[in-house]
Amino acid sequence: MDATVMKALTMMLIALPTMFFVIAVFIAATKLLHKTFPGSQEDE
Amino acid sequence: MESLFLQYPWLDELLMGFIGLSWKNIVMWGISAVLIYLAVKKDYEPALLLPIGFGALLANIPHSSAISQVVGEEGFLWVLYKAGISNELFPVLIFIAIGAMCDFTPLIRRPSVMLFAAAAQFGIFATAVFATMLGFSFEQAASIGIIGAADGPTTIYVASRFAQDLLGPLSVAAYSYMSLVPVIQPPVIKAITTKAERRIKMGYENEEPVSKTTLFLFPVMVVIISGIVAPISVALIGSLMFGNLLRVCGVVDNLSNCAQNELANLVTLLLGITIGGTMSAESFLTSQVAMIMLLGAIAFVFDTAGGVLFAKILNLFSKKKINPMIGACGISAFPMSGRVIAKMALKEDPSNFIIQHAIGVNVAGQVASVVAGGLVLALIPALAK
Repeated sequence: MDATVMKALTMMLIALPTMFFVIAVFIAATKLLHKTFPGSQEDE
Repeated sequence: MESLFLQYPWLDELLMGFIGLSWKNIVMWGISAVLIYLAVKKDYEPALLLPIGFGALLANIPHSSAISQVVGEEGFLWVLYKAGISNELFPVLIFIAIGAMCDFTPLIRRPSVMLFAAAAQFGIFATAVFATMLGFSFEQAASIGIIGAADGPTTIYVASRFAQDLLGPLSVAAYSYMSLVPVIQPPVIKAITTKAERRIKMGYENEEPVSKTTLFLFPVMVVIISGIVAPISVALIGSLMFGNLLRVCGVVDNLSNCAQNELANLVTLLLGITIGGTMSAESFLTSQVAMIMLLGAIAFVFDTAGGVLFAKILNLFSKKKINPMIGACGISAFPMSGRVIAKMALKEDPSNFIIQHAIGVNVAGQVASVVAGGLVLALIPALAK
């Protein structure tokens, strides 16, 4: 396979799992934030 | 003719526009007319397509002073290009404006929707692979893939760094396809979902209010996490979240309003006409540009399919079923994608209101597309070595 295609495939293989990992961290941190500072009806 | 010009030197000056005119310029006038038509008559992203269309017209008049690069006689479009595109200033300013417009409340209330947004970035990477197969260099292919982020400023930001020669066509493709979301997404969704799936209802139970402190800390948290993962993305994500901070802090409403209105309008105007100014016939009428247009469509199709299929996979393991259509809102075309999918759900079942879920995923798409852009920015130099 062409080296350029390999680079693009490598980018996909690295970026997609990293993306999901970062998003998972975002989700955990957002949940923690939401739990630590619960909102009231007034905030809405 | 030559002797005539020698005898009457002023004649050359007077006729240079006619003499320099070629069929390519006229074709570009046609393209410019199409962009202006789409903006004015069809209301497709008019704030961008109108300036881009007119900028393209200015760039395709032979010997146009608007794009002159002669030292001391620089055209205003060239000056704007150097001042705002080549140094990535305009996309960053646009991100401040977008951040000020974003309400992350639905995302904070249901953070798991960010997973759909991550899945919907699949088109970026799949398209980059296709682009390399079509003969583009790795840097160009990655920049083409970014069209799949459905995010104009990110596309411009990445292209201005790694594929400056393709900046015009990449921007046009990104903004054109963003405006064509209502045309592209529904058939793709229908092709990969059943009617029963499209009619799945999603409730709004256990939705707690979001505190002002959470809204305030959220942008700071996003900047720190994504900045640590990909420091190169800090300019993009940082400006987006700075805009959002202006909105939620509650003490600088004037700055927030300025970012949402004056800044957004002014930079959009300058960005559009400057991008149009890069669309000279020599750089635009090439087979590469035709391929970029095709790849842009492929990117949007893959994004939509990626988000929807991911939701379908989650449904296999989840007791609480998700309407898989909301996976398609994970692209950054906000709020158009969310509205299109909510409308589709209502069409399938007039009592199915999924607008809040769809908008939540769509807002997550804003964040995910910038994270994806940051990863691409980080990986291009690392893999290109």
